[in-house]
Amino acid sequence: MDGLVTQLPWAIILILLPLAAGMACFVAPRIAGALGLLSVVAVLLATLGLGLQLASAGVYRHSIGGWGAPLGIELYADGLSLLMLGITALVGIGVSLYAGAYFTREQAGRFWPVWLFLLAALNGLFLVDDVFNLYVCLELIGLSAVSLTALAGTTAALAGAMRYLLATLLGSLLYLLGVALLYHTFGTVDISLLAGRVTPLPALWAALGLMGAGLILKTALFPFHFWLPAAHGSAPAPVSAVLSALVVKGSFYILLRLWIELYAPAGGQSAGLLFGVLGSAAVLWGSIQALRQARLKLMVAYSTVAQIGYLFLAFPLGGAAGYAWQGALYLLVSHALAKSAMFLAAGNLLRFGGHERIAHLDRVVQRLPLTVGAFAMAGVSIMGLPPSGGFIGKWLLLQTALSQGQWMLALVMVLGSVLAAAYVFRVLGHAFTAAAVPHDPIAVPLRMEWAAVLLAAGSIVLGLLAVPLFTLAGIGGFAGMGASLP
Amino acid sequence: METMTGLTGLFDVFLSAGLLWLAWQALASTDLFRAIVLFISFGLLMALAWARLGAPDIALAEAAIGAGLTGALLLSALARLPRDVPAGDAGCRTAFVVRVLAWLATMGLASTLAWVVFHLQPVAPGPGNAVIEQLEASGVGNPVTAVLLNFRGYDTLLEMAVLLLALLGVWSLGVEAEQQVTGADPVLDGLARLLLPLLILVAAYLLWVGAHAPGGAFQAGSVLGAAGVLLLLAGWRLRAAMSSAWMRAVLVAGPAAFVAMAVTTLLIEGRLLEFPQAQAGMLIFVLEACATLSIGATLAALYLGGIPQAEDDA
Amino acid sequence: MTAADLYALAGVGLVGLGLYALIVHAHLLRKILAINVTGSGIFLVLVGLSGTGPDAIPQAMVITGIVVAVSATALALALMLRLTALSGQAELPQDPDDAH
Repeated sequence: MDGLVTQLPWAIILILLPLAAGMACFVAPRIAGALGLLSVVAVLLATLGLGLQLASAGVYRHSIGGWGAPLGIELYADGLSLLMLGITALVGIGVSLYAGAYFTREQAGRFWPVWLFLLAALNGLFLVDDVFNLYVCLELIGLSAVSLTALAGTTAALAGAMRYLLATLLGSLLYLLGVALLYHTFGTVDISLLAGRVTPLPALWAALGLMGAGLILKTALFPFHFWLPAAHGSAPAPVSAVLSALVVKGSFYILLRLWIELYAPAGGQSAGLLFGVLGSAAVLWGSIQALRQARLKLMVAYSTVAQIGYLFLAFPLGGAAGYAWQGALYLLVSHALAKSAMFLAAGNLLRFGGHERIAHLDRVVQRLPLTVGAFAMAGVSIMGLPPSGGFIGKWLLLQTALSQGQWMLALVMVLGSVLAAAYVFRVLGHAFTAAAVPHDPIAVPLRMEWAAVLLAAGSIVLGLLAVPLFTLAGIGGFAGMGASLP
Repeated sequence: METMTGLTGLFDVFLSAGLLWLAWQALASTDLFRAIVLFISFGLLMALAWARLGAPDIALAEAAIGAGLTGALLLSALARLPRDVPAGDAGCRTAFVVRVLAWLATMGLASTLAWVVFHLQPVAPGPGNAVIEQLEASGVGNPVTAVLLNFRGYDTLLEMAVLLLALLGVWSLGVEAEQQVTGADPVLDGLARLLLPLLILVAAYLLWVGAHAPGGAFQAGSVLGAAGVLLLLAGWRLRAAMSSAWMRAVLVAGPAAFVAMAVTTLLIEGRLLEFPQAQAGMLIFVLEACATLSIGATLAALYLGGIPQAEDDA
Repeated sequence: MTAADLYALAGVGLVGLGLYALIVHAHLLRKILAINVTGSGIFLVLVGLSGTGPDAIPQAMVITGIVVAVSATALALALMLRLTALSGQAELPQDPDDAH
């Protein structure tokens, strides 16, 4: 049995299965719901299988077509890929459970094929070692994310989706131009080969600059976050969860790979400072804007802008000794679970009260205790309070910043946490009070509440799983992780 | 590519200048119809440029997809924009400051890029030679087809998914395809009847010849798509056909064939998309045939722009 | 400078034109045209930099890119039409729902 587990090509299954399931859901919309849920469970199992495979045999590499780079495309899975695939599968399960009860029959027929394609594209992105194939994955992700955003059908959702589409297309094009420069300078689009060939040339800086610009736009780093609040704020709740938790992390993942494999080895330094400045601005601006919002989902969306800023604070810190990368990755993983839980909870509150005005939340702590509990748990992780994944991530980043004498960054991190506490407690405070105008409550299916609770609980449980997580992430020794455990 | 000399050099200069001029005119025009027509001309000029660059496959694809089908989509969208929507802004709504900043930024970017492109020196040779060397083993004679369907077939698998996904996205907006109100123009109808078998023949030819000469699934599929668009324009009642389960099967045929091939090769050869050398040519043809049908159907459905309804007024 | 270099430079010019138009023009159809022009420019750079001898890999990449571009254009146009039908104008709303 053990031999079987390590022999199966889990990585390939992770990509092909949701793709096939998506097509099946398109051809046979009647069984879309059941088939979709089944596929997502299968993806979770396959991710576990891949984890076992990596744990026993080390990194996984597969030359598609037998050609090998630079002629063909190679799949590559290491600890970092596994981490990303893991949160994709977990958030995927939560969102799929939720979506089953959230959408009407007709909407479900349109949701499942596109969602499964998005899942396949995300998995593909985390598993491939080829910058051009990553472009195709990015486009697949972008188009599916936009279609899902537009599902809500409201003017706000459509406007948000349109803005998102234009931004994501621009980002992909800039990225592609960078790929062109890389290919013609270094003769390959395979990341591992490129890592061996890069030398500090103007063409390299131009290429990485273009790719970086495109990816920052897709990751919504300040000041290129302009499209995010509208899109994440007006999409259907399960879609917002996926967008904030997974989609923006995909482009961040590529940025991280390029940074570690190409940029830093070629001697690149100065972009770290830029990321630090932009990240700090994102943390502060996003948190302040979150505090100002009257609508719940917009508040959560701005919170995403802030949390993404935290991830970028690792770049100026990563070069020297410390646990910056580990901290950022822990934050990334915790945020995925916590933010998706928050959006699902917000969706529940919206369904329940018919509105999402924070000030008019009507004693929901009594009437939707599970949902408010989920929101509170997610909030704990977002604020960075122990015990939670968010706490560990922020703690590592803070520790690293202090040890390197980066007082400004440390101050930004602390301020960000304080502001996060403010906007989370603002919501929780209103959850206890009666609204001025009571609204007719609409029942929220238990399934939707439990999905939010489970995801939020996950972000808390992550606070206890630091060591095994870091061991897993260290497979393959990406960014020197795994060499020493914090 | 030889260093620029005499007449060909002059031709290239005029062509490049023409491309830039057409693009500028298309983007600057406030009359949307004029902008789209200029864009289509730009696409056709691009096809010429591809031919000059020694890329006939791209030339075919650009002419059919880039200029033809994209142009059809744009014109169709323009026709559907409500009349009272201001078509083409006066352009002065964007603040002057923003314009200046944008101009400076893009000029800076373009100049830097131009400098980098001009001084670009390859550090390591690309796999272009490897493609030629392994061409024999790939099962086809056209190197571009070999790359698309064999060496980098995984890219094409995902790309087929992108095309299908676009249609899924358009359909998920929930808009129903409009009924054709006017009756068919008899001349257009006659032309469509004449052209249809011809277009199918051309598509089949492009599919078959793509194995060893410029052509292939995308070019063939786009010709089929163009045939579909022509029929829709001529008023043929395709909605019943397009809303059937058969249509959905045809739409997924391309990507599904790829996935099926991927799974099969995985089970048999142990490696994803590894074709046994002896059957490679035939397998690639099967993939391309399914892809051609899918691409044609998807492009025609994208032109329709809405969910086809089975009910049809007489 | 070879002919290919000339086309690559023309491609850069197209990218610049497209980016400017994307930022400055408000009408969605014009933004979509701008995206397409930018894409075409990038394709020219991708193949134009090949220089002497046809290189099949960038050519395959461009064909992939063209298909992706038409897919994206189709979705963008459908979104634009839907948005226009609902909101009455073919431009993005200036203030994206920043309600207080």
